[in-house]
Amino acid sequence: MIFTIFKKELIDTLRDKRTMRTMLLIPLLVFPITLTLFVNISTSFEKKASEEKVKIGIWGDLGKKYENQLKKMPKGLGKMELKNFSDSSALKRAIEQGDIQLGLIIPTNEAKLEQTKTSIPLTWLFDATSIGRQERAESYMNYLADIAEKTRFKELGVDAEKLHPLVPVYQNCASHKKMIGQLAGGILPYIFIAFGFIGCMYPAIDLFTGEKERGTIETLLTTPVSRWEILVGKMLVIVTSGMLAASCALLGLFISIEFLDIVHNKEILDVVHSILTPSFIFAMFSLLFPLVVFFAGAMIPIAVYAKSFKEAQSIITPLNLVMVLPAMVGFFPGIELNAITAAIPVVNIVLSTKELISGTLSIGYYAISLGIMLLLAALSVLVSYRQFGDEARILN
Amino acid sequence: MINVSKLRKEFELSRQQKKELNTTATLAIAVDDLSFECQPGKVFSLLGPNGAGKTTTLRMLSTILTPTAGSIEIAGIDAIKYPQEARAKIGFLTGSTGLYARLTPIEIIDYFAALYQVPTKERDERKKYLFDLLNMNDFLQKRIGKLSTGMKQKVSICRTMIHNPEVVIFDEPTSGLDVITAENIIKLIQDCKEQGKTVIFSSHIMSEVDLLCDDLAIVHKGKLKYSGQMSDFRQNMEASNLTEEFIRIVQR
Repeated sequence: MIFTIFKKELIDTLRDKRTMRTMLLIPLLVFPITLTLFVNISTSFEKKASEEKVKIGIWGDLGKKYENQLKKMPKGLGKMELKNFSDSSALKRAIEQGDIQLGLIIPTNEAKLEQTKTSIPLTWLFDATSIGRQERAESYMNYLADIAEKTRFKELGVDAEKLHPLVPVYQNCASHKKMIGQLAGGILPYIFIAFGFIGCMYPAIDLFTGEKERGTIETLLTTPVSRWEILVGKMLVIVTSGMLAASCALLGLFISIEFLDIVHNKEILDVVHSILTPSFIFAMFSLLFPLVVFFAGAMIPIAVYAKSFKEAQSIITPLNLVMVLPAMVGFFPGIELNAITAAIPVVNIVLSTKELISGTLSIGYYAISLGIMLLLAALSVLVSYRQFGDEARILN
Repeated sequence: MINVSKLRKEFELSRQQKKELNTTATLAIAVDDLSFECQPGKVFSLLGPNGAGKTTTLRMLSTILTPTAGSIEIAGIDAIKYPQEARAKIGFLTGSTGLYARLTPIEIIDYFAALYQVPTKERDERKKYLFDLLNMNDFLQKRIGKLSTGMKQKVSICRTMIHNPEVVIFDEPTSGLDVITAENIIKLIQDCKEQGKTVIFSSHIMSEVDLLCDDLAIVHKGKLKYSGQMSDFRQNMEASNLTEEFIRIVQR
């Protein structure tokens, strides 16, 4: 009987355009569209910034010396055009008006400072509201500083290596997999939780509050089917919808990575491929299934209580924040899965998935996380059953 | 056969309900000590003004609501002890019953036949009989949302009768319907009577009652005001017509 109810409710749900949009279409398209837009826009900005010819204004008695050095600069540091200015205020004004992009002020006592072998302050003027200006100034400055340093070492007859007795060599021992797991691993459970919740929301409201509003629940309750079977049949549709929405979002993310050429680093791509194994997907879904059951179990009592679709929506929508906010814990570095975090619902799923991606998930913490979520899912089903059995609630 | 004895239903009042009703009472009595009997092959009418307790009584008969006290027997089954078994014997139709707008009539009928566990062969025979009887064959594949009120009502009738119930409960079945659509319901009630089914229907339209019923009970504020045969009711009337007599009994 549960299957009969499940089948009917699924057909009914799949024919609802609003549910289909939130369950399949939006989750499937959100990542390909947003990531393509993001990558294209940021690439075009980067390209534009690197191809942009920067006009540099120079003011100072020894401007020619630096002009010559800048002219010999490697082309990789970006195209530029040099212009001499007769006073510093005209240089500032030109930057403010956008006629030139960078200004270089050479101190009037540059020759004396050079003679006494003291530091020479070079002032760079730029408009910080324009993206990439400071970075350009810093790369030019590094280039000039490098030349000045080498010249001074030569004049002083000092070997540069003797001045740097210790050379740091930093080596990262973490695997790419672990790095991706820790840095980007939070996004996966977050996606699943956010879309799992949204996927459950419309069917939950439609199958309970909607039935009350349309008056079909009364007819259903007069059939020789127990309330328990009706509840489970409907709940299975809500869980299926939540799992489908989350899976579609993950599929969309996978399609974006695999086919839309948004990840250019081959090593990262190799790691993504090595992560997506059947055992990883099974382990992840085993964690996420009780979470979606819990979502459904949390929504059903509200949907049964609400007298109208609007009322149910107004209660469940803020609940989304309460559920999804803990999922953001995955974005913070330093919070790890331990005996305490494994016992915190939602947080445990996020951290377990993160560790699963890194390949460092401890079986003990996995068992605690899974056990807690299964317990919570069972409790939410019981609460739903009690609410669904309350005759004052079920009939408007 | 329906046997109702000393039926009572109390509802706990919420804070908001107390405020709306301007009362400090914690309970509202919707049905109070109601007893009656409906015989097979006869139409029993439950009459009463709005808020009399008719819908609550019929909901208790169909086991959607659990009585606070009293007993209900449906086709020989104790409906309070064995609600699922009792529901299998009942066909329930209300004027406000909605249908699943995104399904077709045939899908709805098949769904309810499955819920009532009607064997496939019997289901197909019943479907053919009901579709022909109600002239439904032209719109079986259309979605409910695209059907007229009359067509929807036919689907509701078919849904109610697909498992060939022994007992049929109608809760204000013609309420909100036009004369032609209401005629389908009246015809259905007459057919049920001819087939020897036990029929109970609630109404406050005296012309319908006059036309259809064999026995009647008048309820007001949850209490039984009159119970007897329709022929006796007509014979012993003190007012000049049925409506006035109904009002007289309710107000006394």
